Amino acid sequence: MRYRLDLTLRQAEGALARVLGAAERRGFRPLSVDGEAQPDGDRWHLRMTVEGERADSALQGQLAKLYDCLAVEVVPCP
Amino acid sequence: MNGARWLVQALAAEGVDTLFGYPGGTIMPFYDALHGSTLKHVLVRHEQGAAFAANGYARASGRVGVCVATSGPGASNLVTGIADAMLDSVPMVAITGQVATTLMGTDAFQELDVFGLTLPIVKHSFLVRRADDLPNVVAEAFRLARSGRPGPVLIDLPKDVQNADASHLPAHAPLPTDPVPSAPDAAYHEAAALIAHARKPLVYGGGGIALGDAVDAFRAFVEGSQIPTVLTLKGLGALPAAHALNLGMLGMHGNRAANLSVQECDLLIVVGARFDDRATGKLAEFAPNARVVHLDLDACEIGKLRHADAAVNGDLRRALDALTPACSAQLHGRNGAARRAWRDTCLQRKRACAPRYDAPGDDVYAPALLKRLSELAPDAVVTCDVGQHQMWVAQHWRFDDPRKHLTSGALGAMGFGLPAAIGAQLALQDGAGAAPRVICVSGDGSFLMNVQELATVARYRLPVKIVLLDNQALGMVRQWQELFFERRYSEVDLSDNPDFCAIATAFGIHALHVERADEVEGALRALLDAPGPALLHVAIDQAANVWPLVPPNHSNAHMLDPEADAIAAVAAPADFPHQEPAHALPA
Repeated sequence: MRYRLDLTLRQAEGALARVLGAAERRGFRPLSVDGEAQPDGDRWHLRMTVEGERADSALQGQLAKLYDCLAVEVVPCP
Repeated sequence: MNGARWLVQALAAEGVDTLFGYPGGTIMPFYDALHGSTLKHVLVRHEQGAAFAANGYARASGRVGVCVATSGPGASNLVTGIADAMLDSVPMVAITGQVATTLMGTDAFQELDVFGLTLPIVKHSFLVRRADDLPNVVAEAFRLARSGRPGPVLIDLPKDVQNADASHLPAHAPLPTDPVPSAPDAAYHEAAALIAHARKPLVYGGGGIALGDAVDAFRAFVEGSQIPTVLTLKGLGALPAAHALNLGMLGMHGNRAANLSVQECDLLIVVGARFDDRATGKLAEFAPNARVVHLDLDACEIGKLRHADAAVNGDLRRALDALTPACSAQLHGRNGAARRAWRDTCLQRKRACAPRYDAPGDDVYAPALLKRLSELAPDAVVTCDVGQHQMWVAQHWRFDDPRKHLTSGALGAMGFGLPAAIGAQLALQDGAGAAPRVICVSGDGSFLMNVQELATVARYRLPVKIVLLDNQALGMVRQWQELFFERRYSEVDLSDNPDFCAIATAFGIHALHVERADEVEGALRALLDAPGPALLHVAIDQAANVWPLVPPNHSNAHMLDPEADAIAAVAAPADFPHQEPAHALPA
């Protein structure tokens, strides 16, 4: 099952590594990653596509717990 | 004032009075600032000891434990203790020195990316590149460590930031702990309705009860509802061992009554537990007839491994307080007769499956020794290492408070016990010098992993009592090799152990030795009566095993227990009317 993740992250040291690491350790393989700093300069907007067999709600919950993760939305890919 | 001195003042403002650490190159400005401060620094003899001591301090007190190390090997030596805090949800702040920011990324002497190294094992981490960031970092680190589900936070502090001018920074202002959200009323109604419909309900309580400061509410719920209860390793003490409704620990080395009741129940009320594999055995066959009501602060635990028919996500204490009145009359309600019969069945099974301590022979029987010690020292806080002795403590110590049982539950880290005892002893000593009794139960494998901390015990004259169960083997591994690897004993023999009493004596610690069952009573009393730190070395049978045991990847119904089977075989059937036959392993 593939999912698209839309994340808003604090632009802090380690934030990207935390998100990628959490997704992989929780059983979701990243297929694509892109993103950019938002104009205010203190946030990133990150988009990822991941693949995994576990419940997307579990991934959403784990990412939402990250201090640097300000918002996360996980939707199944068509 | 430099950054290091500002940090020391900030730690005091956060309420830190004791920290555990080991100095070195890049953390020297911090240690210079400590000199003459009001903070009590405990010099351990290995950084892993600092992390475990801070961990034990936090577990015993509920306050944030603090450990400190230099960069490079100092930082990497903290890693196991940080991981343990993460997996067991222990509030901790670890402070590491780092090479100067100008040297970072150049492979400088003792440069190590501890920030990257610990990313998966911290609740959060900060690499402080400017002294101006210190106020926010320190406040957030402590707030995060103790808020919600607690955990460790790392602050990596380059040397130049410690030396930077911080005289313009404001005095530190700690942040309040985040408020704990409550579940919506609808969740309570849904849970109460499921409980009302149940004919064979069972409570499955875990470490979240103590973490959520919900022990009293949990006991009120169990007593009000009269629902039999099983506990996880970290839940032990949430209901006193002597409580009639307490069926004991469930899981791989759980009580037979607890495991069989889980397998038969029609509703599992999970309170601050997480369906850990050591508790559930083969998950697909765990509580196969049960619907699930799951109460937990961490939404991620609900539904992670087992579907919850009713989810109560939020403050455990408030949830239990809300459910108790609704569930208290149910023993006499619609399913009252069935509920009473179920409770009686569980309690009869508990009586039938109670452990026996009348082992034949002259050798010391470790379960009997531990049970007797718990009777002689009912007020004690017990720290464990990891292995057979850890399971014997869980099975046979009569815990009446979960904060009296400090054990490396999720990580299972050998070497935890002694430094954790140091932390607990310091956490619980009051200003007048009153010393609570802290007992470290260890094994000969685990003990040597942090034996150097005997020097810390001796230096600070901490009256820690150590019970070292020595079977001259890595006993748990040996047991598994015996049972599941056709007795191919591979690298588990420790028959060349050193003389542990001589080691203790060399550190200035009183030592006793016991090897016969009839010597145990006197030795335990002598240990407890010793005025300062003391070690009791106990020689036990190398072939002793921990029973019951659920083999890996088997249902909890498949408990191996040759000792109980042997007793049952010679006992009159009337003595054990509800003893289930031991299940043979499936081919």
